[in-house]
Amino acid sequence: MDENKLWDIRAFVYEHFAETTRAPRADEVASRFARSQEEAGSAYEELHQRHALFLKPDTHEILMANPFSGVETPFKVSANERTYFANCAWDSLGIPAALHSDAEIEAACAQSGDLIRLNVTNEQVQGSDALVHFLIPFREWYDDLSST
Amino acid sequence: MLFFRSEELLNEWLLSKNAGPGALFTIPQLWELSQRWYQDRMSPGFHGRTMEQVQDIFNEMGLTDGFWQL
Repeated sequence: MDENKLWDIRAFVYEHFAETTRAPRADEVASRFARSQEEAGSAYEELHQRHALFLKPDTHEILMANPFSGVETPFKVSANERTYFANCAWDSLGIPAALHSDAEIEAACAQSGDLIRLNVTNEQVQGSDALVHFLIPFREWYDDLSST
Repeated sequence: MLFFRSEELLNEWLLSKNAGPGALFTIPQLWELSQRWYQDRMSPGFHGRTMEQVQDIFNEMGLTDGFWQL
């Protein structure tokens, strides 16, 4: 697949997440771009290799297109009258940053389970003196992205 | 990356996981990083970043210690 089409598919994935809160399936990409499902799956694999999105192991299903999660997580973000799931604490702020929208974020303290609620309004964040911890340095993130 | 209600709770968690110290952000600091990192993510022209561009973002945030070196 040519380079421009590959990045068009990447843009479609993000647009789809923003509009529907979920990842497009490979057959939806195939239909949108008039390609076979096999070609759409190969495009997903290529984008995964380039860290433009991340697939569930041995599938053509999107697990993450950061900051969006393709599966439900404990990091819930309400924005633009929709509810998104983020991949982690950072990505929960990443969703309003990417969408340039207001947002309400609900998550939990990893140790106590206490609710943590944040609000983003007019590109300012309010509402918590919580802390966010990064365990793994960026240079090691892609060794195991789910453990960062 | 995980939320913690306090540094005390984080330290309890680190002990329970036998984990190293990692890096800690306040919410305003993380919001600033999020804006720098994700502000152009929805653009069709976003094709990822080079390691140099990533390092520039960390440097601009004052994240210059060993944890942030690529």
